[in-house]
Amino acid sequence: MVLEATMICIDNSEWMRNGDYSPSRFQAQAEAVNLICGAKTQSNPENTVGVLTMAGKGVRVLVTPTSDLGKILACMHGLEVGGEANLPAGIQIAQLALKHRQNKKQQQRIIVFVGSPVKYDKKTLEAIGRKLKKNSVSLDIVDFGESDEGKPEKLDALVSAVNSSDSSHIVHAPPGPNALSDVLISTPIFTGDGDGGSGFAAAAAAAAAGGFEFGVDPNVDPELALALRVSMEEERARQEAAAKKAAEEATKQEASSSRDATMTEVERSSALPADDKRHQLTDDEAALLEQALAMSMDDVKSGSGAISDTAMSDPSVDDQDLALALQMSVQDSAKDSSESEMRKVVEDQAFVSSILTSLPGVDPNDPSVKDLLASLQGQSEKKEEEKKPENEDDK
Amino acid sequence: MACLHDHSCEDHNCSSDFSLYKHIDFSKVVALNESVAGSVKSVFKAWERRLDTSEGLLESNEDDPELLVFIPFTCDVKIKSIAVVGGSGGTSPSKMRAFINREGIDFSDAQNMQPVQEWELTENLQGVLEYQTRFSRFQSVANLTLHFPENFGGNTTQIYYIGLRGEATQLRRDVVATIVYEVMPNPSEHKTKSDSGGGLSHIE
Repeated sequence: MVLEATMICIDNSEWMRNGDYSPSRFQAQAEAVNLICGAKTQSNPENTVGVLTMAGKGVRVLVTPTSDLGKILACMHGLEVGGEANLPAGIQIAQLALKHRQNKKQQQRIIVFVGSPVKYDKKTLEAIGRKLKKNSVSLDIVDFGESDEGKPEKLDALVSAVNSSDSSHIVHAPPGPNALSDVLISTPIFTGDGDGGSGFAAAAAAAAAGGFEFGVDPNVDPELALALRVSMEEERARQEAAAKKAAEEATKQEASSSRDATMTEVERSSALPADDKRHQLTDDEAALLEQALAMSMDDVKSGSGAISDTAMSDPSVDDQDLALALQMSVQDSAKDSSESEMRKVVEDQAFVSSILTSLPGVDPNDPSVKDLLASLQGQSEKKEEEKKPENEDDK
Repeated sequence: MACLHDHSCEDHNCSSDFSLYKHIDFSKVVALNESVAGSVKSVFKAWERRLDTSEGLLESNEDDPELLVFIPFTCDVKIKSIAVVGGSGGTSPSKMRAFINREGIDFSDAQNMQPVQEWELTENLQGVLEYQTRFSRFQSVANLTLHFPENFGGNTTQIYYIGLRGEATQLRRDVVATIVYEVMPNPSEHKTKSDSGGGLSHIE
């Protein structure tokens, strides 16, 4: 929250036409300038920012230090690229503009973007630096664009001549995929010596970097991050519950509608614990689902045991019902999800057949059972195929 | 403690006289061209401690003897005299120029402007010399700027102590601080005569 008057010196020389920063050096610079202006005016409402250009026909002050962000952004329009940047004159005129600031209580700061080669010698630059230091003006330099030999050293010498108690900084931004503004966000130029603008900078950094889960910074927007995480878990749980349903229907070969009814009830009851489990955002959620699965399997066994005498009475009808229920559950899980334990279980043929043998009244060699198993396998394969194209679509 | 002043000291006590430092607004004291930021505050202390450098001293940057010290007061003061204790080895300042009630003076301003008063200083390592002011010009001082352009040949300029003698008037020049600014007008707070029964409202 330092009260500061800042003058930004823009390099609009011919070297700014180059495209090694996207979309062009000049555009990248303009974006960075906009970001800096925003950060300065946000960190303290009484801060003022001014802009001048160093190349073109000569050094020209576009706007004197003002706190009106709109005015600053407007003056950035219609700037033309050309000429050569006059670094010493630019800095001196910036110093003059700061000297005549309206609020003498503001600290003075100059931010210079140097994108063209520096043809002035080190001594001149150091003398300029000492004069700035004498008048307690801080200087930040953004070294980007052309990198001839000696330029970094000259600019480093300039900053160290100005620097008193670490108030002046230099940033060397190499060309690359990262935008110039992204590179600057994490530097002290933005964070304002550790206080003040750091809130703005942190938010901008989080949005730009997107390195957080779901692209939302939990520090910035905890509710949104939590909501996203919860919905992801719910979807995952629903997928697994649906797959579990499918497996249960596959294992239960009993062909009575009453069994269907009990099975659906059992499924519902097994789905309910799964639903409850959804709201637990812990890592052993999978273990809990396994438990629910085991519970439902036991229920199924006991339920099927009770009505085993009506085994295979109406295979065709019940098979159709089963098939319908199966289809419906498959349709429900339209979206893809991560590993489904149930699917693994189902696909493990040996496991399934062992369960079938353990169920009284179910003969694994029964053709209808075999058919259903085959169809289930087919469904799993179809699901996998759906998975793959969906994965490709998502990407 | 003997005063060694070149005037008789029986009727006043030096240490209590150089007490204007109590009225300095230390948070706003600024020095230009100091080598250690903030060291200027150590220069204003009680007269007994004028040779005490335990809290640091004001030193200019290497190879640059100029110093500019801006001293704001918490109330208007009248300054009778100024005492300056410099460093040894040519680091004492040789000239002093004073400006009154001007904020934001920097070196180019100080060099071009006519000071209110100018003194030639001598090396005063014991702090026994004081420099009288033209009292009529230093009657209501809200802030004082001292410019030391040269020294006695040293690489840097060192100042251990600046003492100010005078009176504080208890008058403040602060901006009115209790104004409430309105973002949007609230009609209930601005009753006109018509609201309270009638009468011609007029614009002054």
